Amino acid sequence: MKMTPAFLILGGLLIFWTSTFIAVILPAMTLGDEPSAIWRPREADEARGAQLYIDNGCSYCHSQFGRTFDWGLGRQRVAEQGDYYAMQPVILGTERWGPDLQQAGGEHPDGWHHAHFLNPRNTRPLSLMPSWEFLGEKNIEALTRYVQSNWGTLADERMARQRHWETQFVAAYESGADANVAFLHANVPPTWRAMPNPYPADEAALQRGQLIYQWYCIACHGEVGDGKGRGGLATFRGRPAIYPPPMNFTTLRRNLIEDKYIGGIFYYQIMNGITGTAMPYFKHELTSEKIWDVSNYIAVRFVGYTDAGLEPRGIEASYESAGDDGENKP
Amino acid sequence: MNRRQTIFRKPNSAALAWLLAGAVWFAMGTTWGLFSAAHLIAPELFDNISWLVFGRTRPVHVNTVIFGFVAPMLIGAALHYVPALLKTRLWSEPLGWLAWLAWNAAVASGFILLPLGITQGREYAEYIFPFDVCIMVALVLLIVNLVMTIATRREPLLYVSVWYVVGMAVWTAGVYPIGNVMWQPATGAMPGVLDSIFLWFYGHNLVGLLLTPLATAAAYFVVPRVTRTPLYSHTLSLVGFWILLTLYTHIGAHHLLQAPVPNWLKTLSVVDSMAMMLPVFTVLMNLWLTARGRGGRLWRDVGGRFVMFGLILYFVTCVQGPLQSLPSVQRVTHFTNWTIGHAHIAVLGFAGFIALGAMWHTLPGILGRRLFSTRLVSVQFGLLMTGVVGFFLVLSIAGLVQGTNWANGNVEYNTLPMMPPYMILRGAMGLLIVTAAWVGLYNCVKTIRRKERATELATKPVANSQ
Ligand code: HEC
Ligand code: HEC
Ligand code: HEM
Ligand code: HEM
Repeated sequence: MKMTPAFLILGGLLIFWTSTFIAVILPAMTLGDEPSAIWRPREADEARGAQLYIDNGCSYCHSQFGRTFDWGLGRQRVAEQGDYYAMQPVILGTERWGPDLQQAGGEHPDGWHHAHFLNPRNTRPLSLMPSWEFLGEKNIEALTRYVQSNWGTLADERMARQRHWETQFVAAYESGADANVAFLHANVPPTWRAMPNPYPADEAALQRGQLIYQWYCIACHGEVGDGKGRGGLATFRGRPAIYPPPMNFTTLRRNLIEDKYIGGIFYYQIMNGITGTAMPYFKHELTSEKIWDVSNYIAVRFVGYTDAGLEPRGIEASYESAGDDGENKP
Repeated sequence: MNRRQTIFRKPNSAALAWLLAGAVWFAMGTTWGLFSAAHLIAPELFDNISWLVFGRTRPVHVNTVIFGFVAPMLIGAALHYVPALLKTRLWSEPLGWLAWLAWNAAVASGFILLPLGITQGREYAEYIFPFDVCIMVALVLLIVNLVMTIATRREPLLYVSVWYVVGMAVWTAGVYPIGNVMWQPATGAMPGVLDSIFLWFYGHNLVGLLLTPLATAAAYFVVPRVTRTPLYSHTLSLVGFWILLTLYTHIGAHHLLQAPVPNWLKTLSVVDSMAMMLPVFTVLMNLWLTARGRGGRLWRDVGGRFVMFGLILYFVTCVQGPLQSLPSVQRVTHFTNWTIGHAHIAVLGFAGFIALGAMWHTLPGILGRRLFSTRLVSVQFGLLMTGVVGFFLVLSIAGLVQGTNWANGNVEYNTLPMMPPYMILRGAMGLLIVTAAWVGLYNCVKTIRRKERATELATKPVANSQ
């Protein structure tokens, strides 16, 4: 077979356009265009935030679709075609340095995002995300509105819940430290309240707990557990970005349940987060033992007391040595 | 005035301009890659410096290395060897320059607009509409120039390199406007999920129908010349060429296997991604059989060595590519640094190495004088080889660490503390690559500015086939 110029160009074009027809024109003709059940149009400031998301290359580190087998953010519901109705462009993303953001709306209250956008290390000590302080507070607010709208009507439901509890926790905080703790603890299910930490607070456990604290908690709760980490001190529009501010653990010593329990409350709050406050849930990042270890760490180092090993307790775990109760000096 | 006119009409001047642009953008683009890599090591290194923020340096890097370095360098070489293979001259040097101007305007725009956050945001399609127009103008001018060069040829046969270069131009002139949705100037996008289908048709064919044909064409040119043997088989050339075009064009959906796009499109893309091994191995076999027994000649030639190594990495890329098109593999590798490793071994390792090989191979012919320093070319080769292989290994391992962790229930935040060793190593490898790029630019400029008479300054009698 001889390649003549005509054969080369016409043959090349014929095959190219046939193949292109299959790859894009056919989908363009057959793909339906229906919004999904959770879809809603974007408000003006949300749309501006979406544009900022594009302009600043957030998409190079974040994806925007949940998959069947995800464990982190974005696992609540598998993305559907109709979720992206009328969006233009649709940048699904090809890399995850950070979590998927399609379902990020309402995961945190606005204040968490303000502190996080100013400098992500304000809330997440290990974050690789750039600081966006240079964008200015107006743009940060737009980005926040955008993120909070991700997931359409389901995000709106979550936001309503965040606002509901935020009002309550702000009121509690403003009524004084002890009343605040009382309110926080009143909202922990009773079974968790009268529960000691089942694991010993030995040196190894405290060391593990310290690592967890430094990787996940120190930005808010601070080096000495007084809630004055960099995130706790960050300000947005002249006010503390995170409000109520992060818990000052040193106030807990006088607020133990039945004068002795605190482990179960810690576990519950860390696992579940406190909706309406910036306290995130850590059940994705931390497995059970890690949560108990960091609870013991906070208890020993900042509260100055741990309930590890108190009754009620079951059979000791097989690896524990006898009398290995850690310290508890009520 | 007169002198300027002659520059733009001098034979091979357009080719030289494209090559030089490639060398300049190589140095610039990789430097911006290093900025991006630095962020991933120390995220507060450029804290709050808007134009150095990761989300803005990364697209500068990616667009510059693809549109600035690899493509122009390969086009420059082509503007030299296509007329040579057709035993004629480039039909119009000024038209070649005009295309150069339009194309490089787009690349330069990236350095100003993307750092300002003025972008269309879709990966590889970030340049805004006016500069999409520039790229299209350049492509059309190239097509006219190539077609007219063919029309005025004195060699009746079209060699396989010529097919690929012409093919590249006419296909890319189709891929580019579709992928950039140029009939929607404001957003450059389609509404809804369809947009992603358009984008990955484009992103995939940008490497598949722009870089791959150009690199293949250059390899088909350099390998027989350096080994001084005729091409092994015309039939294999034909098979490789037509199958590549048929398959590559419609498998872009393998970038969207886990996204909500129609299943038939995914199935098609997986099956034909596997089939992609056919055209690739056909081409590689053809070139290998051509060079068989004469590998030493390739290796000893400064340009040939780059091409040879590029072809080896083409093999690696195209074993990896089909494998990672399998849904079960992507379950682990997708969204991780694994893909970044693939991107570098493909765009730099395969297309970039062949581009550099083609440049070092054609420069002496274009300028009519020897290279400033073949030793520096070897230095560049050594740095790049270490850099790209290291990059690939480091990023592939990092990707597997991320992917296996995520598959087992750890989330992105859990894998962050595992990444610093890999990111530091990638930064170190990147430094080698950046150094190689600047060394190459220096060598290139020195060769161009070198006085005809000054050959005795050359490091050694050339071990160069020119
Ligand atoms: C260098 C990559 C990178 C870039 C660019 C980036 N992020 Fe992130 N992002 C991360 C990482 C890593 C995390 C996880 C750690 C954390 O929460 O900071 C994250 C977390 C987030 C979260 C928190 C999700 C949650 O609920 O825990 C939001 C929201 C977010 N990013 C939004 C953005 C926006 C908006 C932009 C663009 C303005 C952006 N990101 C740019 C890497 C990046
Ligand atoms: C983004 C900031 C932030 C981070 C990060 C954070 N917290 Fe909190 N934390 C808070 C806020 C805010 C509260 C609630 C304060 C209030 O309502 O008065 C809180 C409350 C708590 C409480 C509840 C105390 C009680 O008695 O009910 C515990 C326990 C706690 N945090 C532990 C942790 C641990 C452990 C980590 C790390 C794994 C962590 N926090 C990370 C902000 C944070
Ligand atoms: C046999 C041929 C090839 C196949 C089947 C193939 C397959 C793939 C697949 C499946 C991905 C997406 C991976 C993911 O997102 O999980 C990918 C990404 C990529 N490929 Fe290839 N590849 C091939 C050859 C090449 C070549 C020759 C080049 C360059 C010259 C190349 C450049 C890229 C780039 C740059 C990406 C990254 C895209 C992005 O996510 O930004 N590939 N490839
Ligand atoms: C000429 C050589 C190079 C080429 C052709 C090249 C090409 C690319 C491409 C195509 C991507 C996009 C990958 C994707 O989205 O899947 C990319 C990303 C990147 N490249 Fe390069 N690159 C080169 C050199 C470098 C160098 C020297 C460095 C510096 C260390 C570097 C660092 C990066 C970084 C940090 C990213 C972003 C990765 C991420 O998002 O995690 N590259 N490059």
